[in-house]
Amino acid sequence: MSLSSNAYGAGIMAKKGKDFADEYFAEENQVLHESNEVVLVLKKSDEINIIVDEILLGDRRSDNPTLVVEDRAGYWWLKATGKIEVDCEEVSELLGRNFSVYDFLVDVSSTIGRAFTLGEKFTITSELMGLDRKLEDLKS
Amino acid sequence: MAISAATKAATDALAVNRAPTSVNAQEVHRWLQSFTWDFEKNRTKYPTKYKMANQTKEQFKLIAKEYARMESVKDERQFGSLQDVLTRLDAGNRVHPKWGETMKVASNFLEVGEYNAIAATGMLWDSATAPEQKNGYLAQVLDEIRHTHQCGYVNYYYSKHYHDPAGHNDARRTRTIGPLWKGMKRVFSDGFISGDAVECSINLQLVGEACFTNPLIVAITEWAAANGDEITPTVFLSIETDELRHMANGYQTVVSIANDEAASKYLNTDLNNAFWTQQKYFTPVLGMLFEYGSKFKVEPWVKTWNRWVYEDWGGIWIGRLGKYGVESPRSLRDAKKDAYWAHHDLFLLAYAMWPTGFFRLSLPSREEMDWFEENYPGWYDHYGKIYDEWRARGCEDPSSGFIPLMWFIENNHPIYIDRVSQVPFCPSLCKGASTLRVHEWNGKKHSFSDDWGERMWLTEPERYECQNMFEQYAGRELSEVIAELHGVRSDGKTLIAQPHTNKNGKLWSLDDLKKLNCVFKDPLQDL
Repeated sequence: MSLSSNAYGAGIMAKKGKDFADEYFAEENQVLHESNEVVLVLKKSDEINIIVDEILLGDRRSDNPTLVVEDRAGYWWLKATGKIEVDCEEVSELLGRNFSVYDFLVDVSSTIGRAFTLGEKFTITSELMGLDRKLEDLKS
Repeated sequence: MAISAATKAATDALAVNRAPTSVNAQEVHRWLQSFTWDFEKNRTKYPTKYKMANQTKEQFKLIAKEYARMESVKDERQFGSLQDVLTRLDAGNRVHPKWGETMKVASNFLEVGEYNAIAATGMLWDSATAPEQKNGYLAQVLDEIRHTHQCGYVNYYYSKHYHDPAGHNDARRTRTIGPLWKGMKRVFSDGFISGDAVECSINLQLVGEACFTNPLIVAITEWAAANGDEITPTVFLSIETDELRHMANGYQTVVSIANDEAASKYLNTDLNNAFWTQQKYFTPVLGMLFEYGSKFKVEPWVKTWNRWVYEDWGGIWIGRLGKYGVESPRSLRDAKKDAYWAHHDLFLLAYAMWPTGFFRLSLPSREEMDWFEENYPGWYDHYGKIYDEWRARGCEDPSSGFIPLMWFIENNHPIYIDRVSQVPFCPSLCKGASTLRVHEWNGKKHSFSDDWGERMWLTEPERYECQNMFEQYAGRELSEVIAELHGVRSDGKTLIAQPHTNKNGKLWSLDDLKKLNCVFKDPLQDL
């Protein structure tokens, strides 16, 4: 198991029984706390497995050192601080065929954060898109 | 990863000499906005007390062509897997029987939510004034139709391939008997389509979809896979690929009202009510289905809830909106208590009332009881001892003449139904956030289990007039009601519901029940 604070079983989730209950019911955990993390759930498929292995954990690994990827049976669970981006032009190059951002969306099962597309890029960010920052249209 | 020289050569050649292709989808999306249809002055059939801005953007920039292409690929993958490889592997019969019974409830009840979400998003399309926002809602209408079909297909697939199809094959007819159904209608129907349009969006998209679909449609696939079920991950993960756009629609609904000064008067109350409405049903029901409806446990439900509801939805979705005046739901403290205990409370009642279900339940095994005690300290002394007593009295065996409902009557533990959520509760036994309070209104008594539902009812009592099962069947004998509502198998006498999942165990019939002479009574009549 990853020791990163973004891991599936990190923090309170690593505790059991009474230890878990004590923290879960602690006074400071009775209101929601602002979080700067994002979560992405990707359904396993040939293309997604390649994107995870070769891009997010491969060529682009250094872009996001906080990224954690975990195998949850039928899907990959990803969590990172700030944002996760997938550029589908890079994916097309890797696959050797056209792979649009809409092809990517076929296997994006869930997002926690603000996810959006711009051109061939998919982004999920903790920024409040539309409030703190405008959502852009594709420029000609 | 380095790409091969041949691939690179081909890619470079294409970059210089691109084959003619259609216009980029997002260029088309931008062009479509230039139509500037004047939705702002349209009248709406579904008004809202909020003022929705008409410049709201759409996060995924959908056009019909790309939408249709995406969805057809999803369907080809899903149905291709189900009808080809999973059938060849006899996947339906590899599912653990406890989990096979759980899916009778999960897929059937999710179908109800998807069906109502068709109307809900149609209503939102009508209310919104921003063209892009309407575009997002329109795609969601189509998604919800797809999801309704997919959920129905899970039951259909199980009907064909699972060893005990009763319940999967006629759930729409038999699901209405028991106490789980009306709570489902409250949360997945009324909450999505009744009242103010934006409040419905908060119920459906901001809380139902952004929060509870993650355990209901994503986390459930882990439990399914652990229990031998490859069907549910194939379908549910495909459903969830649309839900992310629905979550974005819910977020954009909030964006559209964020600059309306009047919004702050209503938003936090509506959000708190929506959160309580959704959690009051999903928190105990999902926890019960996962932990008591499985052989192999993934993790304690309270951890799943803490991750997806508290940390992720709460921290990432709602927590970040604090500077725009959005507050942590005031009901959160009670919701957290429910996440720890309410599913145990519900299973106690569900098992006691097992004949009214359309699925089979089973008591936790010794190994499972140890797991419960390890993860919920104090579980055995409160719940486990009761199950040991029921088991010793032969609750699984039709010749015992004992159903656990009798134990509640013998020990003076009356069961009530919360008028607002329609969720049953036993105030003298529950460890979740439930206490009995009763009001009289319009010549009728109404029971409530918590502050939050009570407050909603006091504001709009006419909204919660649905009869509960004790009122509906008062004076009627149990086997007679079950026969009338088709809760039997094709032989016309063996019950669909059973108190065990043992393939070789004896099955209860209408005659076995009739001997017990259980007659429905409304507990409020005694107060």
